[in-house]
Amino acid sequence: MNEYLVFFLHGLAYAGLLFLISSGLTLVFGMMNVLNFAHATMYMLGAYFSYTLLQYTDNFWLSVVVCPLLLFVIGALIERVFLRRVHVYGHLHELLITFGLAYVITEGVKWIWGNYPLAMTIGGLLGETVEILGTAYPVYRIFIFLCAVLVGVIMALILYKTRLGIILRAAVNDSEMVNALGVNVPRVFTGVFAFGAALSGFAGVIAGPLLTTYPGMANDILIDAFVVIVVGGFGSLGGAVVASLLIGELQSFGVLLFPRLSVALVYLLMAAVLIIKPSGLFGEEQ
Amino acid sequence: MKTVKAGPYLTAAGLFALMAAAPFVIKPYHLNMLTEIIIFALYAVSYNLLLGYAGLLSFGHAMFFGMGAFSVAVGLIHIPGLGLGEVILLALAVATLTGLAAGLLLLRHKGSYFALLTLAFNALFYAVATKWHEITGGDDGLSITRPDLNLGFTSLPMASLENFYYFTLVVVGLIILFCWYFTKTAMGQSVLMMRENEERMKFLGYNTNVNRLILFTFTGALAGVAGAFYTLHFQFCSQSAISIDMTTTVLLMTFVGGTGTFMGPVLGAFVFIILQNYLSDITDRWPLFMGLIFIFMVLFVPGGLSQLAGKIKDLVVGKKEGAAALSAQGGNHE
Repeated sequence: MNEYLVFFLHGLAYAGLLFLISSGLTLVFGMMNVLNFAHATMYMLGAYFSYTLLQYTDNFWLSVVVCPLLLFVIGALIERVFLRRVHVYGHLHELLITFGLAYVITEGVKWIWGNYPLAMTIGGLLGETVEILGTAYPVYRIFIFLCAVLVGVIMALILYKTRLGIILRAAVNDSEMVNALGVNVPRVFTGVFAFGAALSGFAGVIAGPLLTTYPGMANDILIDAFVVIVVGGFGSLGGAVVASLLIGELQSFGVLLFPRLSVALVYLLMAAVLIIKPSGLFGEEQ
Repeated sequence: MKTVKAGPYLTAAGLFALMAAAPFVIKPYHLNMLTEIIIFALYAVSYNLLLGYAGLLSFGHAMFFGMGAFSVAVGLIHIPGLGLGEVILLALAVATLTGLAAGLLLLRHKGSYFALLTLAFNALFYAVATKWHEITGGDDGLSITRPDLNLGFTSLPMASLENFYYFTLVVVGLIILFCWYFTKTAMGQSVLMMRENEERMKFLGYNTNVNRLILFTFTGALAGVAGAFYTLHFQFCSQSAISIDMTTTVLLMTFVGGTGTFMGPVLGAFVFIILQNYLSDITDRWPLFMGLIFIFMVLFVPGGLSQLAGKIKDLVVGKKEGAAALSAQGGNHE
């Protein structure tokens, strides 16, 4: 019985990471129609920056604050320097440029930090375990899940309770009209893209100590994040929440119940959704 | 339809003759490289039929390449007495079926959505190839020996590098020629028109979905044959043949060479393999340089090397013909 609880909590932690990554990905896609292949490399950069910062300062909270800020800047630069330049050639080129950037950044990471996993350890309260229903469970995984919940709540508040949120939601629906109404849409795009990069970087910072930091981490989670937005539906934040939980738990229980099939389960779920409801669980028909 | 001119056929014949003479001139090391170039040229041409001609950006082309590659390795290991021709036909059949099945599921979507789904599907194939150790050899891969070519009256030993080179040149070369011919057929032209204006094609009574499925399956089958030759060439097949990296490779080749012309990807394969061989001697970081070249091309030369070549030709000859032909044949400007 306790085994199931442990795996359920494991699933929640992974779902938290997936949500942090896929929420940015799905917002950028909904708004700019750009499928950002470099999104998960921001997650990887977050983890590596944090690793280096921890080596010098040994202050985890500092990297929680600093690394996402760095990635915000990098995200803004990518949008300004690269995406905007190829925008005139159409979506195909935007996709190709993010793909090229992901490739180069991954190779750059291998060059700078080496092509092997780096481990981080977290001390203090986060390194402890806590007793849940008679089972000792690491605090850190609960911390990850709570971070994701916190971010999700803040995002929902911004999107649904503020003026900025109205602009953002309107831009998802019809960015040209919003532009015509006097909102500086290109600047909104840069902001959203950079915010998505920062979120992804934040996920990397908190994932580093749990999953270790290695050059393949971006690709590994990118595929899962893609599956999340396919299952949840493009551009839907609510869909990202539900699909993240679904896939987090599926990954976790898959390992427990069908160890041989576990790698295929996520794709089977995706294939099933594609056949039954091609636009995803919460997506609108286009 | 335009009448097909003799020019391209003469060019092809000239290229064949040149390639046929190569073993007498170059070293075995370079002959090995040339064999690899021919194989990857087919892979890139098949990819460009999707990307350049149909405007479909797929990140899952490696699944067909890999299915072809694994069909050869698994077939040779598990079916005793399988000949060279049969094993290639087996790979062709497997890749065709994979293409048909994947196409039925994936082609319901377009654009970015299609790109994402192909990537996810490729990941599934890769995961299976890694985990199904009994059949695919997992991380260890599969080693094979090339079977000899049975011509009926005599048998051609394939252990010889030259013989295999000639076999590859003739078979793959003819397939590439067939692809070129395909782009000139009504079917091939309809693919181009579909990319330009699908609504209109529908009104004209074309079933664009069926056309697209046929093209997708066809390119999958071609990639499968390329994969089959890849295994035969290296006499080895591992999960890397079906990995995302194999898709990245073909994307880089095709784009660097140029998606706008038929020969662009062939040029791309040539440049890529040569760069890969020389850069990897100089630095371990050659993928980084390939990536930077790719980004540079996407930003500044979206038509690839063949666009550059066309521009240089214009400067030298002083004609606008080259550029006009390029955009008419489908420089990727949507």
